[in-house]
Order: sequence, then C-alpha cells, then structure tokens
Amino acid sequence: MAPPAQVDALGELLSRSALGDRAAFARLYQATSSKLYGVALRILRREDWAEEVLQECYVNVWRHAPEYNASRAAPMTWMTSIVRNRCLDWLRRPNPEPLAEGAEEYIEDGGPGPLDQLERSQEAGAVVRCLRGLEAKQRQAIALAFFDGLSHAELAQHLREPLGTVKTWVRRGLAKLRSCLELQG
Amino acid sequence: MNCKGKPELRERLAAEYALGTLRGRARARLKRWMRDDAELAREVAKWEARLAPLAQAVAPVAPPARVWNALQNRLEVNPKGARRMSFSVWKALGLMASGAATALLAIAILLPSLRDTSPAAYVAVLSDAKTNRAVLVATAGQADKVLRVNTLDPSIQVSGRSLELWALPRDGKPKSLGVIGSAERAALRLDAPADKALANVPALAISLEPQGGSPTGQPTGPVLYSGPCVKYW
Repeated sequence: MAPPAQVDALGELLSRSALGDRAAFARLYQATSSKLYGVALRILRREDWAEEVLQECYVNVWRHAPEYNASRAAPMTWMTSIVRNRCLDWLRRPNPEPLAEGAEEYIEDGGPGPLDQLERSQEAGAVVRCLRGLEAKQRQAIALAFFDGLSHAELAQHLREPLGTVKTWVRRGLAKLRSCLELQG
Repeated sequence: MNCKGKPELRERLAAEYALGTLRGRARARLKRWMRDDAELAREVAKWEARLAPLAQAVAPVAPPARVWNALQNRLEVNPKGARRMSFSVWKALGLMASGAATALLAIAILLPSLRDTSPAAYVAVLSDAKTNRAVLVATAGQADKVLRVNTLDPSIQVSGRSLELWALPRDGKPKSLGVIGSAERAALRLDAPADKALANVPALAISLEPQGGSPTGQPTGPVLYSGPCVKYW
C-alpha cells in the first residue's frame, strides 16, 4: 500500500514533471516503474510487449502530466489506468499469449495471498473486502479480467462456461461491487 | 447510435471498459463517445478509481534498464524534430508573414509533437520584429493551467540575464508568465485555466531582465520579441 506521504510525493513529482522537470520525472519512474511493469507483464505475458507498452505509457505520462487532476484520481490510480488501458488496446492485436500458470493465485480462498495483505490498505481495503463478498464465480471472472486482461470470450474459454453465463457473472459482479463500495463510503 | 439516455447501459459499459472486458470495436467506440461526453468520461474515471487500487496486489518486476534509456531518447526526439523542421520551413518560405499566418504555420508545424496532448486552443508565436524570425511558440489548451513553451531558437538566451515572458492584456498592465529557461521545451504555470488567463490577452512579449526576472513585477528591460496570441477554437 502507498501511505499518504508517498501519495503526496508522487503527486509532487507529477506536477514537477508537468513543468518540464526531468529529474522529477526520473524519480517518478524509479518509484513507480516496477509496479507498472508488473501490471503490464501480467496482462501481456510477453516481456518485449510489456517493455514497449511501459515505454509508451511513460511518454504519455510525461506529455499528459499537465492534465493530471489530483482531485479525480490518486497518482498511482491515474498511471495504473494509463498502463492497463494501453495493454488492453495492445491486445486487440491477434494471437495473444496463453495464460500463465498460477493465474488464479489472487483469487483462491483461504491462505494468505497478495489480496490479504491489501485488505488492510487504506486505498485498496474497501475494494478487496467487496471483492471477497462476491460469489466465487463472479469474483473469479472479475479477478481474471482485471489482473490477466481476459476478455469475455477468453473468460468463457478459460472457465469452460457459455459466453452468456460469463457475461452475466461479470455484469452482476460489477453491479454488486459498486453497491458494496458505495455502502463503504 | 450512442448510449445517451440509457443510464444502465452507460454504467455497464463504463464498468466493463475500466475492468477491461470491453474489447475491440466496442472499446474503440466507447473511447470515441468519451471524447464528446464528459459525463461518460467521469463515469469511466470513477470505475477506474474503484478498481485500480487492486493492481497493488500484482508483484512488482523491475523493468530492464533499456526501457529507461529508450524512454529518455523518446523524450528528446520530439521537440528537436519539431524544431529542425520548423527552421527549414521558415527558411524555405523566407517568412515575412503576418502574425496570424505565422501562428497558423506554427500549428501545422507543432501538430506532430502536440498530437498526444490536449489540443492547443491558444497559440502565440513570438518573433524578432526586425528580422521576422520566429523564436518561440507558446500554446495552451482551453482548460490547461500551463502554457507550453517551445523555444525555436536557443541562441536567444543572454548569459547573466533572464528572458521574461509577459501577457499583454487588452486593458491593463503586462502580467508576468514566468522566466524562459534554457530548456527547449518547458511549461509555465498559469494561475487560472487558459480560457481565463489568456481571454483578454491579444499579445505576448519577451523582455530582457536581470537574472531571475524583473524585480518590480513589470518589464524593466527592452522588449526583444513579441507576437499575437490567437485563440483558434
């Protein structure tokens, strides 16, 4: 989890980057690139693609830094969304790579996993708790889509269920997630 | 077709876009809608803010050093490319154009490097009054709180002195926009969105000031370069 002090520091590095400060941008890269490369690698499953996407995304962060709006998103949320969206656009290309082994490590019940550690985090705690409250199938579909970038069709194939069923899980899961998050305020 | 007036559909599409299950043409279409539909864009941003914190669960992996190296090269290439091109165009045309024509030309020249940023609504091209040589281009999108400054001619810098950029309002005194540093490409903070800060500003000018900028808040040295500041849309 990113403690508030770090969130502020990233925000400051972003606004300094917006003013053309290359040293601040280098520090922003140092502080965030491992996390974002991890996200890209997980969705794209190929190092060369993930490297290319990461590079493009930081060029975009540099160019769009003046438009970053702190009241709308935390710095890491903003940058994560840039990376995930670029990865998903990239996957429009044919022949995506097969899903890696152990893709379900985040969503298994029982045993401490990465999500357990997140549950205590200020930023991610609520969404993790709400995700846990979903039915297992809905949770699995949403986690595979989020972490591994699976489309509806890929989810259906991977889970060996009809496309319509999988779409319903995703739709209902997202609706429940939203009402749960709104209750948590 | 669009999704206006169908709140449930909008909500579902925004959520699936943020989650990532919306793909291909449906994804591209939603992206197009978002450009004209600020409410939809906000809906998507809200969903991104809800889901993105989950990404903290992904194990970090240090990217190879070549990513940073290549990235640095890409940050360098664009402004330099734009500059080289602009010089050859100025030269080819033996430019003696009016300010507005100059600014239009600058848009055409800058478009490649600005393509990925918000569209520049305000463009000012500052030139040397004697030679008509353009030395600096300043641009800002309507809602931007920064003015992007592209120095076309780095030789304008005077050692031991500072160049200060001023907004010249239709009525009222010049207002400092900041000191032009030696970087080819820089951004100056505006104290309000461009639509407000530049609304009544038909021209910008650069004066020669003591190092660090004018001590009085008003231009104290000679005005070396100036040009019209035009709003295009």
